[in-house]
Amino acid sequence: MFITTFKSITILMVLTVILTACNPAKDQPNNQAETATKNITYATAKDINDMNPHLYAGSMPAQGIVYESLVENTAEGIKPLLAESWDVSPDGKTYTFHLRKDVKFHDGEPFNAEAVKQNIEAVQRNSEKHAWIKLSTKIKACRVVDEYTVELVLAEPYYPTLAELSMTRPYVFISPKDFKNGETKDGVNGYHGTGPYVLADHQPEQYATFKANPNYWNGTPTIPMITAKVLPAGETTYLALQKGEVNFAFTDDRGADSVDVEAVEQLIASGKYQRVQSESMNTKMIVANTSRQASPVHEQAVREALWYVVDRETISKDIMGGTEAPAYTLFSKNVNDADIPLQERAYDPQKAASLLDSAGWVSTEGTGSRSKNGKPLTMKLDYDSNSSSQKIEAELIQSAAAAIGMKLELTGEESTSIANRRSTGEYDLLFNQTWGLAYDPQSTIAGFTSQNAYLYATQGIPEAPKLYKTIDQIMTTTNEQTRQQLFTDVLTIVHDEAVFIPITNGNITVVAPSDLKGITFKQTQYELPFEQMSFEK
Amino acid sequence: MNIWSNLRHDRIGMLSLVTVIAVIVIGICAPIIAPHDPLTVNMSLRYNGSTWSYWLGNDQLGRCILSRLIYGIRPSILLVLWILLISIGIGTALGFIAGYFKSKVDAWIMRICDIMLSFPGYVMTLAIVGILGVGLENIVIAFILTKWAWFARVIRTSVMQYTELDYIRFAKASGISNWHIIRRHVVPVTFADLTVIASSSIGSMILQISGFSFLGLGIQAPHAEWGMMLNEAREVMFTRPEMMLAPGIAIIIMVSAFNFLADALQVALDPRLHQSASTYTSSKKWQVRI
Repeated sequence: MFITTFKSITILMVLTVILTACNPAKDQPNNQAETATKNITYATAKDINDMNPHLYAGSMPAQGIVYESLVENTAEGIKPLLAESWDVSPDGKTYTFHLRKDVKFHDGEPFNAEAVKQNIEAVQRNSEKHAWIKLSTKIKACRVVDEYTVELVLAEPYYPTLAELSMTRPYVFISPKDFKNGETKDGVNGYHGTGPYVLADHQPEQYATFKANPNYWNGTPTIPMITAKVLPAGETTYLALQKGEVNFAFTDDRGADSVDVEAVEQLIASGKYQRVQSESMNTKMIVANTSRQASPVHEQAVREALWYVVDRETISKDIMGGTEAPAYTLFSKNVNDADIPLQERAYDPQKAASLLDSAGWVSTEGTGSRSKNGKPLTMKLDYDSNSSSQKIEAELIQSAAAAIGMKLELTGEESTSIANRRSTGEYDLLFNQTWGLAYDPQSTIAGFTSQNAYLYATQGIPEAPKLYKTIDQIMTTTNEQTRQQLFTDVLTIVHDEAVFIPITNGNITVVAPSDLKGITFKQTQYELPFEQMSFEK
Repeated sequence: MNIWSNLRHDRIGMLSLVTVIAVIVIGICAPIIAPHDPLTVNMSLRYNGSTWSYWLGNDQLGRCILSRLIYGIRPSILLVLWILLISIGIGTALGFIAGYFKSKVDAWIMRICDIMLSFPGYVMTLAIVGILGVGLENIVIAFILTKWAWFARVIRTSVMQYTELDYIRFAKASGISNWHIIRRHVVPVTFADLTVIASSSIGSMILQISGFSFLGLGIQAPHAEWGMMLNEAREVMFTRPEMMLAPGIAIIIMVSAFNFLADALQVALDPRLHQSASTYTSSKKWQVRI
C-alpha cells in the first residue's frame, strides 16, 4: 500500500516537472512570432564581429546600416548622401564636397568638415590595409574649407574617386569621439556612425540588435529594430525561419546562400515568406593561380581546357534551380565598360581534350589520366565549405575534368582560409566571386594588381607587365573613350589567358515575410537598404 | 575453452558475426559487387528515387547511392579495422613491456599514457588535424596517436594480473627467457581480453571516423564515406529526408553488429559469464569508451 502511494506520488511529481518545463517553451515561440512581425531578425552565418568601419573584420551588411559615406552609388550613377553636392576641379585633382548640415553621429557629435578630415586621415594613416582601394594611394590631403565644406586633394586625376568614396568601407564616418588616441587602426571605443540604425546590443557569436535612429537626417526608418542572429548552418536557419525565430535571410557577403534552393521553395509555399531576387550582381568564378610555376595551372592550355569542361547550363538549371544565369565572361554585359565582344567558350569536353592533346598533355595508357614530361595533370581546387552549392559544383566539374584525364583534388575550407589562400598565393584554383556592380569592373580590375586580391592569379601570364601598365592607365585616364579601349584590352587579355573561369552570375536572394514591402537592392552585394522596408498594415 | 562452440549458440552473436564478415567481404570486393561506378555523375538522375538499376536511388549529383555505400565500406569499416590493428599493435607491445617488466620502464610508459589520456580524444584529434591539415591520412595518424595509450593501459593491467600467478613465477625461476614466457604463457591468456576490448572499441571508432568526415575533416570529395554521405544529406534534410536513410542505417547496423559481437565474444571467452548468461548478459567487463 505504502509503496503504491509512493509510486503514484513520484509519477505525479515527475509529470509536474515535465509539464512545467514544457509550458514556457510553448509560449516563447508565440511571443517571438508576435514581435517578429514588427521587426526584422535576420540570420547570419557569421557574427557581425568588429564593427570598426576602417578595418575589414566586420560584417558589411551590418556596417552598411550604421555608417554612411559621402556619396552613394546607384543604378543612375553617383548620388548625394552625406555630401549634398560636390565640385571637381578642371584638372581632376581636387574634389570639393558640400556636406549636409543636419547630420549628427549617434552619440550626438555633429557631422562636419572636421569629422570628415579626421576620419579620412585616420584611414590614410593605415594605408597598407587599404592598398586594394587605389584611392588610398592617390589622396594627398584633406582640407577643411569651412564648417560644412571639405576638400580632397589627389596626387593625380583618378576617375573612380567618387565610386570608391561610396563603398561600404573604408571611407565612411565614425564619431571622432570613438577614436582611440586619435586613431581607428588599433580599435575604437564605440560604433557611432550617422546611418539609419544604431548598434544597441552585441552578444558575440549570438546576436546583435540595431535600433532605428530617431534623429536620422532622412527620417526615422519604419522598422524599429533589426536583429542579426548568428545561425551558422543552413538547416538551423531553415527551422528558425519556419518557427519565426528569425524572419529574414539573405545572400551573405561571401555569396553563399545557406538555405537550400528547394527549402526556400517550401517556405514560400507555406505562404508566410516571399523571395525577392536582385538582378545579377556579380560573377561566381574559379580563379586560377597563374603564378604557380610548379602546377599545370600555370599553362594557358590547361586553364582554357578547364574553362571548356565547366557545364554552366547544368549548374544554372539543376544545382542553382534556375536562380542564377550561366556566365561566359568575367563581367556580365550589364556591367559598365564591360560590354565587349569576347569569344564564348561553352561546355565542350572534346575541345578541352584536343587543347590538352596539342599542348603535350597526353593520356597515359590504362589510367586515363594525362601527364606531360612525367608531370601529372593534377590541380587542387578549394571551395567554401559553408556554401551549399560550391561543393556540388566542384564535384560536377571534377567529374567532367576526370573524363578528359584532368585530375582535380577538392578541399573544403572556411571562407577565411580561402581568403587567406588568395592573399598568400597558396592555391591552384579556388572559388571566388567578383565584387559586385559598384566595384565592377574598376575595383575588381584594380584588384589584379593587389596582393590581397588577384595579384597571384594574374602575375604568371606572359602579358602581365603590359596588363598592369594598362590598369594603371585606366585609373588615371579621364577620357571616356580611351578608357573604354583600355578596359577592352585588359578584359581581353585575362579572357584569352583564361585566368578567371566564370560559372554563373550571382545575385542577392532575400527570403522575407510576405507582408514586408519595399525590399530593394543597392549597387553592391554587401549592403541591403533596411531603412526602406516596412510591414504592410 | 571452446570459443567457437560457445559463440555458435548465441544467435545475436552469430548474426552480428555474419553481418560483419559479409560487409567486410563486400567492402573488399567493392569493384565487383557495386552495380555502378560510385563517381559517375549523371545530373539527369539527380535525387532520383529507387529504380531497378539504382536500388537506393541517386544523390545530389545523380551518383548511385548503393555503389557509394558499398565503396564507403572501405574508409568507414576497413580503414577503421586497420587503425585498430595498428593502435592495438603499439598498445599491446608497450602494454606487455610495462606490465611484464614493471619498475622504471612501466613508470615511464604509464606516464606517457597518462599524458595522452588526459586530453579528451576529440580535442586531441582536432588539434592534430589542425596541425597536419585536412585529409584521411591525417585522421588516421591522429586516431592511432590518440588510441594506443588506452590499449596499452588495459593490456598492462591484464598482463600484470597474470605475471603474479604461480606458473609464471615458476617459469621465471626455472630460467626460461622472458621472450619465451611472454609468447608461451602470457599472450594466450591475455588474448581473450584483447579481443574483447578490440571488438568493443571498434563501434565507437566507426562513429568517430564518420563524425570527422561529417565535419568535412576526413575523406575529401568525391570519394564516398558514410559520414560524408550523411553530411551531404544534411543539407537537404528538410526537403529530401530520405537521403539520410541509407548511410544512417548502414552506420547503425554496423555499429550495433560490432557491439553485439563484442558482447557475444566476451561471454564466449569467459565461462563464468556464460553460465550466468541468462541473468547477466548485459554486464560488461570492459566497458570501453574512448
